[in-house]
Amino acid sequence: MRGCSGGAVADRGDGVADSRGGGSDSRDGGSKPEGGVAGGLRVRRFESVLIALGALVLTAAAGAILLALGGHHPGEAAAAMVRGAFGSRATFLSITLVRSIPLILAGLAVALAFRAGVWNIGAEGQLYAGAAAAAWIGLTGAALPALVLVPAVLLGSLAAGAIWAIVPAFMRVRLGVGEVITTILMNFVGIHLAAWLVHGPLQESRGVFPQTDPIAEAARLPRLVPGSRLHLGFALALVVAAGLAVVLRRSRFGFRLRAVGESPEAALIAGRIDAGRVLVVCFLLSGAIAGLAGGVEISGLTFALYEDLSPGWGYTAIAVALLAGLDPLGVVVAGILFGALQAGAGAMQRDAGVPAAWVGVVEALVILAVLALDRLRRVRRRGGV
Amino acid sequence: MKSPLARLDGIERRFGSVQALDGAGLEIRAGEVHGVLGANGAGKSTLLNVLGGMLQPDSGSIEIGGAPVRLASPRDAWAHGIALVHQHFTLVPRLAALENLALGGGRRPGLRSEVERLTERTGLGVPLDAPVEELGVGDRQRIEILKALLRRPRVLVLDEPTAVLTPDEIEGLFDLLRELASEGVGVVLVAHKLDEVLGVADRVTVLREGRTVLTAPAAEVEPDRLVRAMVGEERADAIALGISDGDAYDAVLPRPAAPRSPRETRTEPRDEVVARLRGVGHAGRLHDVDLELRRGEIVGVAGVEGNGQRELALVLSGRVEPEVGSAELPAGIGYVPQDRSTEGLVAPFDLAENVALALHRAPDFGRGPWLDWNALRERAEAIRGRFEIAAPSTRSRAGELSGGNQQRLVVGREITVARDLLVAENPSRGLDVAAAAFVHDELRRLAAEGVAVALVSTDLDEVLGLSDRVTVLARGRLHEVGPDERSREGVGARMLGGRRG
Amino acid sequence: MAGGGERSRPTAFGGGVPGVPGNRGPNIRGAVNHRQPEVYSLGDGLAARVRYAVARRAVTDNPPGKAPPMLRTPRPLLLLATGLFLACGAPTDDEGSIRVALLTSGPVSDAGWYAGAYEGLQRIEQELGATVSHQQTATPAEFDEAFLAYASAGYDLVFAHGNEYQDAAIRAGEQFPELTIVVSGGGRIAENVAPLIFRLEEGSYLAGMAAAAMTRSGIIGMVGGVAIPPARGTFRAFEAGARSVRPDVEVLEVFTGDWNDVAAAKEAAVAQLSRGADVLIHNLDAASFAVFQAVREARAEGRTVWALGMNSNQNDVAPDVILGSAVIRIADAFVETARMWQNGEVGGAAIYASTRQEVIDFVFNPAALDEVPPELVERVAEARVLIREGSLDVPRVPFIEGEAGVQ
Repeated sequence: MRGCSGGAVADRGDGVADSRGGGSDSRDGGSKPEGGVAGGLRVRRFESVLIALGALVLTAAAGAILLALGGHHPGEAAAAMVRGAFGSRATFLSITLVRSIPLILAGLAVALAFRAGVWNIGAEGQLYAGAAAAAWIGLTGAALPALVLVPAVLLGSLAAGAIWAIVPAFMRVRLGVGEVITTILMNFVGIHLAAWLVHGPLQESRGVFPQTDPIAEAARLPRLVPGSRLHLGFALALVVAAGLAVVLRRSRFGFRLRAVGESPEAALIAGRIDAGRVLVVCFLLSGAIAGLAGGVEISGLTFALYEDLSPGWGYTAIAVALLAGLDPLGVVVAGILFGALQAGAGAMQRDAGVPAAWVGVVEALVILAVLALDRLRRVRRRGGV
Repeated sequence: MKSPLARLDGIERRFGSVQALDGAGLEIRAGEVHGVLGANGAGKSTLLNVLGGMLQPDSGSIEIGGAPVRLASPRDAWAHGIALVHQHFTLVPRLAALENLALGGGRRPGLRSEVERLTERTGLGVPLDAPVEELGVGDRQRIEILKALLRRPRVLVLDEPTAVLTPDEIEGLFDLLRELASEGVGVVLVAHKLDEVLGVADRVTVLREGRTVLTAPAAEVEPDRLVRAMVGEERADAIALGISDGDAYDAVLPRPAAPRSPRETRTEPRDEVVARLRGVGHAGRLHDVDLELRRGEIVGVAGVEGNGQRELALVLSGRVEPEVGSAELPAGIGYVPQDRSTEGLVAPFDLAENVALALHRAPDFGRGPWLDWNALRERAEAIRGRFEIAAPSTRSRAGELSGGNQQRLVVGREITVARDLLVAENPSRGLDVAAAAFVHDELRRLAAEGVAVALVSTDLDEVLGLSDRVTVLARGRLHEVGPDERSREGVGARMLGGRRG
Repeated sequence: MAGGGERSRPTAFGGGVPGVPGNRGPNIRGAVNHRQPEVYSLGDGLAARVRYAVARRAVTDNPPGKAPPMLRTPRPLLLLATGLFLACGAPTDDEGSIRVALLTSGPVSDAGWYAGAYEGLQRIEQELGATVSHQQTATPAEFDEAFLAYASAGYDLVFAHGNEYQDAAIRAGEQFPELTIVVSGGGRIAENVAPLIFRLEEGSYLAGMAAAAMTRSGIIGMVGGVAIPPARGTFRAFEAGARSVRPDVEVLEVFTGDWNDVAAAKEAAVAQLSRGADVLIHNLDAASFAVFQAVREARAEGRTVWALGMNSNQNDVAPDVILGSAVIRIADAFVETARMWQNGEVGGAAIYASTRQEVIDFVFNPAALDEVPPELVERVAEARVLIREGSLDVPRVPFIEGEAGVQ
């Protein structure tokens, strides 16, 4: 029990994910101060913010160096990036915020799972499942009024995402199979399912291109700001984030979830919490939220299912969740930041001629910087071991 | 006079806002056993970690053999002949004992025969080829000591080695320490029990609040003076006058071998049976255990670590269903698990959240799906005050508390939920004398209020001193100890009778 | 700026006259066929893969010998035709500097489909003095963003290089009437949205003739990426071309489902080779190298086997194994389309690019010509003329709005 627990612990509040290995038996960190409480309570509140800022600064520095090495002008690129992300109300609303919607929702799904010690790497597949369900309902329910069809589309995507999490949940809780592998495998299933649908049963009626017909008007989310691309999905993402924050902080279930995530042993022994039940619920909830990310993308933005619907949101969401310290409200901020990063990256290409591959490099740099700083903080807190 | 092997002087070390060491010093001479005493949080472990190279001091000097050194890592410390036996185990669970010894730097041809000679000489027998994860805490402790001895240290530092050993093993260990000292090794021993330290140490050093407050030859200090040095004058007076912690002062001193008779001071155990085990077997570690616990009685379960205590405690506390037999248990069960830091507490949770672990189901602390954090925080505040948990507020994290304060938190919480039954596993392990006495007092008070208490402990003195009835768990079987056998010797014989055939 | 007459260089689009040696701008690779210069135009290596390109051949409407309507353009030097005059697409920039953008879904370093488009963009910058920009996009949501960003930055013309852009292009076209969008291989048409259709079938048909003439076993193979209609069209044409030379030829066909999956392509190619195929054509992106490698390995075992390049002039990519390439000269098509836009001639109809404008071609590999019978070269040259005249029917798979079989 003890041996297998370490790997599945996510740090709380200020914590970014804990990547402790299961076998290293470093339960107590060796050398705590004997003098009662280590202080720094005030500092700790802002630690996650400092880490996030540090990650951004590090990333920016590394990015500038890379750009310079590639023969580009870092200042020009940075200016283009900022302009592209925040340059005007239109770009901010229609590009940055729109991009942040699936990142926030998928990030919330990942953060929720990680908080419970569930390493759900499967947000991508769950997202595709949700998108496929949304497209299917949006196509077949064309006769229904919007008041019925829009909720049906959203509920359908929630359900599909949850269904996508059932197999990994079952295998983890009943068979003890690690969810990292199973969720990744389910990603492939989800992605290929979407591909099969747009080549097969859901292919556009012309039967030419791998995409569905546009979903019914009544299945589409209204625009949040008229004249922009920003749709109701953004408000939904905020509501989900706020809801998760309240549930985690205030509810019995949220408390159990955090306890199981922090320490399955203590949850069982001291809390008499049935970890299996908590994990299953958490799995399904996480999958459902990731599914909603896909559904919202379909009914709010693309109005059709495509093979390449997601540029890897389910994976970027992991970085979003980590950058946010697994805090739901932090995920909103981190999601918008990543949205801005991606929007800015597009502008860098357009205006500064920086190649697209750089975006991927920057995202990877952010993740590395977050992990490095988290490790630093952990070491510091332990007292320098 | 023997020359000092190692000397630490004016050591300061701060963790965040906490000054863990504030001018601590320690002098270790060749050929002595040096006892280090102090209350929880006095800085003992921190000071030893400085000596072992695990921590770097903020200021102060370290001299080895008269020359100033810097111990930047455990490797540096080893190079200077300093070996540290940790309070927390540093073994690789999946590897066999012998492999762990090899990992400890002792990899060389003939290691096995060397280890065997060493175990022969020291009496520290361990199954060399069993994976460590299958061994009990006692065996792990012995492996840690063997690991240190294989380095042939000049200074051997042991941080609370006795907590998990049987009386006989403790005696054997002390013989070994004396023998090592006579060969010129400097031995540093940290222990909570005053009598143990005084029984073996040549000199003692007392730390309080990060400072060295006393260093003296053991033979020349009165226990009374040591207690005063450890807890501070005020507190010691308070204890002496019986203002707080009624029995604490007693408990600090070596206890009489004969058990006190608790019935004289308390109400008769009521007859109502609150918990009943029938023919319980579990996980191959418990066999056919029958046990009845009545309201108001403290039932001691003595035994050497790894004889089924954990399984018994888990079944009795309702944490697991027994595989064989039946368990009838009441609703209000408190459980103080042995491993407080991983099983009793969630380290990153604050005090209130940790209290909520036991209370989050209670209707008083929430409504519908929501928790009432104000009520929980109030309760946590009450526990913090009553159990004198040294934390600035209920928002402090449990992981930042010292071991003793963590235990106070767990005990305090579990006592509040133990309306019918409290299962306590080694409840005073790692506590300083005053804290241990306080916990013992709480157990007695709880029993007096009509709660059944199952005290599962490897500390024989604790069992004998507190229990109305004494049982011994040996090789998974529970034996009732009759009044005539109720002595260290009698119970100890029962305990050992069960150990390894 | 009107038409090719003002251009400083001879163009391969020139009037559809066969035999004009194409000297195609700055990037001449000199893959000159010395024996048949009047037939085999220069391969400039810029044309790129076309996965969506297809030649529209409305045979019923266009009797043999007569050019299809799209090519009946008023000016002889206008190489790419359009049906409708588009008012809103007319140049509005008084300063004379037009703004042209390119969207691709893949890296422009692919030495093929995307590289050709990027080359076209650069030539538009050089030759038309345009302000240009490029963005690589990955998802439908990004397509919308890119159109939005370019529209609000005042761009006039956006080349969206792939059919995947078509829905986003239609949406953007409605929202930004000032913007003109050209969708390579697209299937949908609007006032300011025009598909640019490459009739790669024509080159593929010629490649099929070459394959059938060169095979010894009588078995030839095709390794495709995703089985979308334009890709299937190239293979139908390849098959037809092969049967016109050798009616009993056996044709193997595999789609791996991925344009860039090297391992899958290699596996498919090896499987076809082991079934006896000795000439392989592909319709792939980056994975095409795997087909060449498989052929190279079969050669190392002593077999006489050939590969055919597709989409761009790949003769240089693997000169040791390639017989020839069915090419698209995307850059030429782009430059010409931009010129047409300047004349207000883009929008409301599909733009076709074919052998007639020498955008599509089949180019023998000069390094392999020693092993090619001259009769074959001649026969292919004749077929090419017939195709240009419209008297040889090349099969295709229709996919454009309004086409027969497409709603």
